Amino acid sequence: MNELLTSAVAGLTAGGTYALLGVCAVFTYRLVAVVNFTGAAIGTAGTFVLIALYEAGFPLWPSVLAGVVAGTIVGVLVGLVMTTWFSEANASTKAAVTVALLVGMIAIGLRLTGGQHPHVMPDLFPGSAFRLAGVEVTIASALTIGLAVLFTVLADRFLNATRTGLHLRALSERPMAAELLGVRVQLLSVLVWAVTGTFTTFALMIIAPQRSPNFMTLSLLVVPALAAALVGLFRSFWITLAGGIMLGVVEGLASSFDGVSQYRGAIPFVVVVAVLLWSQREARWDDAR
Amino acid sequence: MSSLVVSSLSVSRGGLPIITEASLSAASGEISVILGANGAGKTTLLEGLSGVIPVEGGMIAIDGAEIQSARPGVRARAGLLHVEQGRTVFRQLSTEDNLRVGLHADERLETAYALFPELVQRKAVRAGLLSGGEQQMLVIARALLGRPKVLMIDEMSAGLAPVVVTRLMTAVRKLADKGLAVVLVEQFAALALAIGNRAYVMRRGRVVYDGDCSTLRRAPDELHRLYLGG
Repeated sequence: MNELLTSAVAGLTAGGTYALLGVCAVFTYRLVAVVNFTGAAIGTAGTFVLIALYEAGFPLWPSVLAGVVAGTIVGVLVGLVMTTWFSEANASTKAAVTVALLVGMIAIGLRLTGGQHPHVMPDLFPGSAFRLAGVEVTIASALTIGLAVLFTVLADRFLNATRTGLHLRALSERPMAAELLGVRVQLLSVLVWAVTGTFTTFALMIIAPQRSPNFMTLSLLVVPALAAALVGLFRSFWITLAGGIMLGVVEGLASSFDGVSQYRGAIPFVVVVAVLLWSQREARWDDAR
Repeated sequence: MSSLVVSSLSVSRGGLPIITEASLSAASGEISVILGANGAGKTTLLEGLSGVIPVEGGMIAIDGAEIQSARPGVRARAGLLHVEQGRTVFRQLSTEDNLRVGLHADERLETAYALFPELVQRKAVRAGLLSGGEQQMLVIARALLGRPKVLMIDEMSAGLAPVVVTRLMTAVRKLADKGLAVVLVEQFAALALAIGNRAYVMRRGRVVYDGDCSTLRRAPDELHRLYLGG
């Protein structure tokens, strides 16, 4: 029993990251109508700036800051591509563009970072935060979940209680109608990309020491992130948050079972398929009738 | 005196020329009515003026400042507001939040409610649940709160009951009487000519008539000829 609890708690770090990346995906989708496949790759780019500086002997925290700034800049660049050339494209086209950008970013990232070459990823927050039912919860776990909750609360408050949030909600529904009212659509869209770039970069810096820190592995964390976003149907921040954490916990639990452990990487795909089937059930029922 | 001056404007869609060398103006306190058969290019003209689609050539100026190269948002902040056809409310936002989106720093929501008191009772209702007439009132009021110098309204009567159309026309006339320059694209020629000052008739992307509304009102046969050519 204790072993199961240990596994579940071990999954919290990943769960917090999935949750944060998922909430960022919902944020991007709701505000600029893009299912963003580059979310994790943007954060990975910033994380590798940190790794490069750290390996070159620069002090840790200035390197973290430089990495976060780099991730934000990459987010802004992707945002500029999307808002300059694809702002009026439909959701499928935008998603396809981000897939293309993801492939390009992974190819460039692997080239620049030496592919599978092992890197030294500093543990930003080593140690234990507290014990839960006799199991140690790491600072990294607590921090990623805290960051995900913070982002969710801030996003919720920002969208519902500020004028800029109101502009973003209007922009998400009808970008051209908003622009025709004088809303600074391109600036706000790029701001959304910048904010998600900042948060995802920091989240990936926290989780990277527990993953194989190569560009491909970290970039593909977008899959569980989108699975979490799908649990929230790309609308609810709080359900996405819960979905991401649950996904991490289930992955952690799966590692306790020998027969399942080797397939735990497929759990996000199972969640994606299950949510899609569930969301289409009424259409299937109507077809059957 | 605010004014819009458009000179030799050309607009294309997908490489196909739609508007050719169109010139028109709109002065403060006046309604400039743009008439024409379906496909004449009226909506494309407004979209070119507001920047929804880029212009190929020509000049657009608000109070003497040229804006033909600016993005739509810049044109809006310069005072050229465009109420698109199709009642483009933000459906998930409440009526009042819709009004707040375009609210100028020096403007108050009461201005909108004074023009359309019908909206006061509906201010907490999601805009997507409003009737067609209420949605049209909302998009006009929303644009008004942006402190426009020139307000362009595209097909505001489409799909609405005659009594609502009359209500909207009266409100637009009231706005012009308060000093706003209005450009009105309209299918209901008789109603538009009744409230308008200056008329433009378009055919196949060209302005084929530029004159007083009163002249066309008195000569329906001439209007018919201008629509159809010949």
